[in-house]
Amino acid sequence: MENNKRVLVIDDEAHIRRVIELKFKNQGYHVITATNGEEGLDLIKSQQPDVVITDIMMPKLDGRALCERANELKEERPFLTIVMTCRISPTEKDWISQLQDTVFVEKPFSLQTILKCVDHYFGNQE
Amino acid sequence: MKVQRISIAILVIFVIGIGIFAQTLHQQEQRSRTQDLQHRGNYLVSLVALHPMENFLGSKRDYIVKTLAEYVTSDGLIYCIVQDQTGSPLLSLAHRDVVAKIPTDVEQRSLYVNGLIQQTYKMVGTDHTISEFAKPIFEGGQRSGTVRMGFDLPPLSMFSLERIKLMGIMAFFAFSMAVLVYYGVTLALRPLHEVNQNFRNICIDTVPVAPGTVKNGGVGEIIKGLEQSVIKLKDRYEKIQAENIDLTTKYGVISFEKHNVFSILDSINYGIIVTDIQDNITHINSYMLNLLGKKQDEVIDHLLGEVLSHDQITAFLLQQDAMKQSSGARYIEATFPELDSGESFLVSLSYLSGRKEDVIGKVISFKNITSEKSAENAKHEFITRITHELLTPLTTINSYNEMLMDDEIDNIELQKEFYNTINEETKRLTSLVKNLLNISKIEMGSLTLHKGLVKSDWLFDDSLTTVEGAAQKKNITIERNLPDSFPSLFADKELLKVAIINILGNAVKYTPENGHIQFMLTEQDDCIIFEVSDDGYGISKEDLPHVFDKFYRSTDPRVTEQTGSGLGLALTSEIVRLHGGEIEVKSKPDEGSHFKIRLPKEEYYLGKQ
Repeated sequence: MENNKRVLVIDDEAHIRRVIELKFKNQGYHVITATNGEEGLDLIKSQQPDVVITDIMMPKLDGRALCERANELKEERPFLTIVMTCRISPTEKDWISQLQDTVFVEKPFSLQTILKCVDHYFGNQE
Repeated sequence: MKVQRISIAILVIFVIGIGIFAQTLHQQEQRSRTQDLQHRGNYLVSLVALHPMENFLGSKRDYIVKTLAEYVTSDGLIYCIVQDQTGSPLLSLAHRDVVAKIPTDVEQRSLYVNGLIQQTYKMVGTDHTISEFAKPIFEGGQRSGTVRMGFDLPPLSMFSLERIKLMGIMAFFAFSMAVLVYYGVTLALRPLHEVNQNFRNICIDTVPVAPGTVKNGGVGEIIKGLEQSVIKLKDRYEKIQAENIDLTTKYGVISFEKHNVFSILDSINYGIIVTDIQDNITHINSYMLNLLGKKQDEVIDHLLGEVLSHDQITAFLLQQDAMKQSSGARYIEATFPELDSGESFLVSLSYLSGRKEDVIGKVISFKNITSEKSAENAKHEFITRITHELLTPLTTINSYNEMLMDDEIDNIELQKEFYNTINEETKRLTSLVKNLLNISKIEMGSLTLHKGLVKSDWLFDDSLTTVEGAAQKKNITIERNLPDSFPSLFADKELLKVAIINILGNAVKYTPENGHIQFMLTEQDDCIIFEVSDDGYGISKEDLPHVFDKFYRSTDPRVTEQTGSGLGLALTSEIVRLHGGEIEVKSKPDEGSHFKIRLPKEEYYLGKQ
């Protein structure tokens, strides 16, 4: 079940990176990982992933700043961004809703939910 | 009745006055007639006595008689007798029976007294009073005869026609004068009446007396009225004076209270501006003057908008005014761009009400809420972080479990790794919850120690082991310095371990890769000292006084990029304090930090709690 879609997982928590990586690899996605926002932004620019799954609280560059920078890049090349958040407050909902192709999942999430979200995004595209 | 009595009295006085006046006039006229008679008698008798005796016998006798006869008829001369030395009459001009009625002693005296004499006598058989003038006639140095003249001074009638006319004229003038004086006095008294009336109006506390309703009495009544008015005025003055003293006292108390209120307003850590209904500033406290950087005279009686040129606050005040002071939130948060510190203020508005519940001004207060905002933000950030810290292991456990349950992990080794991860994350979650409980206990002041015998070398090694993994990942070298012998402590082992791990963990967290950490244990007479030094990022001068504050985190990006709750050092400080110890820190930015925990030795014996 080979899939040519590229998924970037950005989280400072190694365990979470690892389990998402495994889940998507099992589904045939090509998975790349980053440990902080800065590294993640570099990979978005260089690897041009189709899906970015990112945490919010991260060192160096937090999730919000990363999403806003990534949103600028979406004008040339759209891609899905999934934000993993602990608690979705009204202000957080606001800034996420203003970004293109960006959704959020609340922790603790089901991996199946994230996968369905990605499949749904690519299903709509096709 | 009173007026009638006064009228009768005036009439009696008037009649008496007229009588006295008539009497005086009569006496004056009588005196004048007597004097005139004397002059006339003296003159005529002297004139006749100048004639030689022969004139009364010869040719001149007729001439003299004719002349004297005129006097006899006109001027009261009733007789003129010229007698010779012997007393024989040479000439006698008199009424028929007059000479016989002259008393003898009068004649004798006139005939034998040398010089001019005057005698007054009652004519015999009549009521006539006669004045006789006599003068001897001298010839050749010898007395040759005597001239006697008698004058009848008829009684002067008190009520002669002339006098009655005169008195009538006088009475007319007197009456006219009295009427004139009366009206003059009335006219002159009119202002006095008005003054009296005004006095009454002032003094009478009841209904004021309308002008003209006060009876125009006499001067006595006016004076009496004035006297009463003055008494009432005096009473009123005393009452007003007492009220004045009362008011002065009240004013003093109010001034004192006002001063107190202003002192209180000046002493509070709020900015206060008070305005009147036209938005002119009537009072401003010291705090607000300092905040605006203005002096009192630059602010008082100036418009609020001129003094406080702040768009946000001006809009807020206008909005509140437009809402007609309806109830609801009357505050906004504002910052002053001119303040470098960027402090936040809670600007509150309330309206001042007068006695009739009408709005008479505004009170605008400015409360510095920078620290509250900071604490609120820190707390919010803390909750966010704690939520993140709790949900992260939960997410790991949940997702790893999901993978295992969905049979997506076929590899046995991988399955083991997953089970281990779930186990580690469960421990991590447990530890985190314990820390949170400790923090909660510290917050509530209910953290209790479970003391027991603790070997310092065990505490040292166990703490070091906890952080060694993280240090190795960053290639940080940890140098151990231990004493020859290891003293024991009487302490809460778990809590003390948490305190030391927090210090060591921070040293690893905030020291760059390939750095160095020194961990020392030393013993002194009365205490045991744990020291941790590093060559990491260090702590800035601004952050250093706050490192043990709860929820405090530095704004240094090298610190914020690391996960942390801002509670580690606060918890450590509390644990050390609960053990009766001290913690101190020395640090320089970019050179490193040095933490020293000093714990007192405590004698231990079995069964000690």
